[in-house]
Order: sequence, then C-alpha cells, then structure tokens
Amino acid sequence: MTNTEQTTAELDQPKDTGGQRLPHVPGDSHMWVMVLGDLFIFGAYFVIFMIYRTMAPQEFLADQQHLDVTVGVVNTIVLLTSSWFIARSVVAVRAAEYDRAIRLTYLGGAFGVLFILTKAYEWTTEVMHGYTMPSGDFFMFYYMLTGVHLFHVALGLLILGIVVRELRNPRKRRTSMAEAGGVYWHMVDLLWIVIFALLYVMR
Amino acid sequence: MTDVASPSTSDTESGAAPTTPKAGKRDVWIVFFIVPAFYTAFGIIFFALTRTMPPPRPDITTAQMVDFFENHSTTIRIGFGLLILIVGGAGIANGIVMYHMKRMSTGSVLAYSYMGGMAVGALPGCLLVAICFLTATFRPGRDPELMAFLYDLGLLSYVGSLGCFSVAYFAFAIAILYDRNEIFPKWLAYISVWQIVTEILAVPVFVSRAGAFAWNGSISFWMGTVVFGIWLSCVIMFLKKATELEPVDAPPLD
Repeated sequence: MTNTEQTTAELDQPKDTGGQRLPHVPGDSHMWVMVLGDLFIFGAYFVIFMIYRTMAPQEFLADQQHLDVTVGVVNTIVLLTSSWFIARSVVAVRAAEYDRAIRLTYLGGAFGVLFILTKAYEWTTEVMHGYTMPSGDFFMFYYMLTGVHLFHVALGLLILGIVVRELRNPRKRRTSMAEAGGVYWHMVDLLWIVIFALLYVMR
Repeated sequence: MTDVASPSTSDTESGAAPTTPKAGKRDVWIVFFIVPAFYTAFGIIFFALTRTMPPPRPDITTAQMVDFFENHSTTIRIGFGLLILIVGGAGIANGIVMYHMKRMSTGSVLAYSYMGGMAVGALPGCLLVAICFLTATFRPGRDPELMAFLYDLGLLSYVGSLGCFSVAYFAFAIAILYDRNEIFPKWLAYISVWQIVTEILAVPVFVSRAGAFAWNGSISFWMGTVVFGIWLSCVIMFLKKATELEPVDAPPLD
C-alpha cells in the first residue's frame, strides 16, 4: 500500500534486459518485510505452543477433544477459497481486467467475512460449553492464536477494501498494490493452515 | 502540511566542490537526543534497579510478595524515584514522533490521535507501577494483603494490555502509509501492526497466573518485549533520519 509513483508496467512484468528475464517479486518490499517478520513471530508462538504441549501432552490432548474439527475444516475451506479468489483477482489485474478483478476481490473479502462469522459461531459454542481462557493452557493458546489470527483477517479485509478502492480509480490502479494485498492475504491463509494443524489435527 | 524541500545546490557554484548542506534543526536535534537517553535510563530503571523487567512471578504467596518489596526496597526507591523525575522524557519521545507525523502530507489529525493514545497509556502503562512500588517500599508496615494488592496492581497495569497504545500504533501506521512526503518508510507502518498484536497477546495476563500468557510469560512478556525493542530501535533510527533530512530553513509547523 505504498504511494510510490512507479508505473504499473515497471512493477508488473518480469523485466526483459538483453534477453535475460529478471525475477519478479510480487507486491512491494515493504509488505514483504511485514510478511516475513510476521511469519517469524508466529513461528515463535508455534514453537512456544509445542513446548507447552510437550510438557503436558495428556492435558492438551484431552482439551483438544472439545474442539469441533468439522468447523475447523469449514474454516480452512472458506479461507482457501477466499485465497483462490484473491489469486485470480491478481491475475485479472495483471491482464488489465479491472472490473473482473474487483468482483473477485469482493468475493475473496466475502469469504473472509464468512471465516470471521464461522469463527464467531465456533467461539460462541465453546464458551457456551464452558470452555473459556481460564479452562487451561490449551484453551488459552486456542483463543489467543485464533484471536490474533482473526485480527489479521480483519486487517486483511481492510487491506482488500483499500485494494478495491484503488482498482476502481483508473488513475490509482497499480498491480503492485493488488499483489501486496494478495501477498498479505496468502500469509493469513498460510498461518491459518499451521494453526489448524497444531490446534485441531495434531494428536 | 509542508513538503520536504530539496537540499540547496547553491554550494556548487563556481565549480567549487559541493559541500554537504546543513540539515536538521538544532531544537529538533536536541529533542531527538533525549529519546535514546530517556529509553536507556528507562531500561536501566526497569531492568537493573527495580526488577520490574523481567517481572517477578505472579503466582507467589502474599508473604513472598512482601519479601520482594523488602529485598529490593533500596533499588526500587532509587529507580522509581528517578523515573518520577525523568518520566517527562516519555512525553518528549512521543512529541518528536508527533512532530515528524505533522510534517507528513496526511495532516495533523493522526498525529493528535497518536499523541492522545500514548498520553492516556503513559499513566497505567508506565507510571502506575512506580507509584505502587514506591508506596509499598516507603510504607513497609502496611497489611501484607495491601502489599500484595500493590504488587498485583502495579504489574497488571504495567504488562497488561492497553487499547490506547493499539490506537496510537494504528494511527502511526495509517499516517505513514498515506504520507507522500516519505518521512518514514512504509515498512515501519507494517511492522507497527506487530505492536498491536503484542498488545492483544497481553490481554490474558489478567487471567493467567502462570505459563506463556502470565505477566512474566514467554508470549505475553518476552515476545512483546523483543518486538517492542525491535520496533523502538527502528523508530529511533528513522527519527534520526527524518531529523537529518528536514531542511534547516523549513518553516515552523502550525
């Protein structure tokens, strides 16, 4: 989401210099600093979760049984579908099909909202069954990891909204912007897959 | 707000070797140097003197809490007494960030939001623990339960999540992203999101008395402190750069 004045053509396509095609990094370097740093920080959270899980495997396993794997799978499918729409949207922007790109970004965002609603339903169900943060270390990790991830989803929706706003304006359209939004959204997707594996699947 | 002007090129007349143009206003430089000095003192006070960082355990008995105040009473009195005297440095540190935010093309409103969020957070997030610990050490004969209350109140307010800081970081990020004067790099805005995440992860300290999410836990305290250290180092580095790049003859801000 930079305001740099590079043109779309400069940023979009692999550069052809004397027959040599230089590799193209999607988005902008600023977003990559954020994404790689965020992955590192989340990686540390995951390692800490594994350490605590190793210290009390039976307790973690017992609490894990109270999660609804089906809802977790639905969440995963919803977010993967959302990412697919965003990937298609970036391809559409590269092809200068902006109306299509905007529609696809809206669809991606709609599935992001669906993810939040599904998560809200899941949290409500867990709380109604009496499983809250003080219920134990596992549920503390569960609410905090999924909560911080949910914050990233909400931030991603804001970023997608800014992408749509810029795509609607012919003077502001930049492929790098759509790519940066896509890079962020795919990071959110990747983080969820690891969270899903750690909290729901790993036995 | 004002645009960043190009450096003067008048020095290159008559074929003379170009000299580096003067940059940065003297008053802004003075304020800038207070920032690392304040945070260095802050670190010494909280880490070395008052033993607030890393925080003592939350899951100890009342008697152990009283012992903590007795064992560290001298350093707590010196450290937090000193903090009371220099805490204005926090205002200066936030003030220079606000000053450079006001130089952005985004205007003043986000700068005021940043300053407001930081100012509201300074009392519970910095000063209250000092008042609690000073009260406990200067009034040692009180009921042990009151001592334990001061222990909990001080550390919960210091490490616990405060939404006003999240608002300040968000305002900072939005201002940088929409700024066209390029006062700070865009990635500084993105990594300010990490600060918001650490605030969220400090919510459970009110619930958890042991483990990763306690006030001395690996996530709520250690990860938050490391991320804050990285973020603060970046902010100080780019405050220096922004001060260097501000033309001496730039008109005063409104």
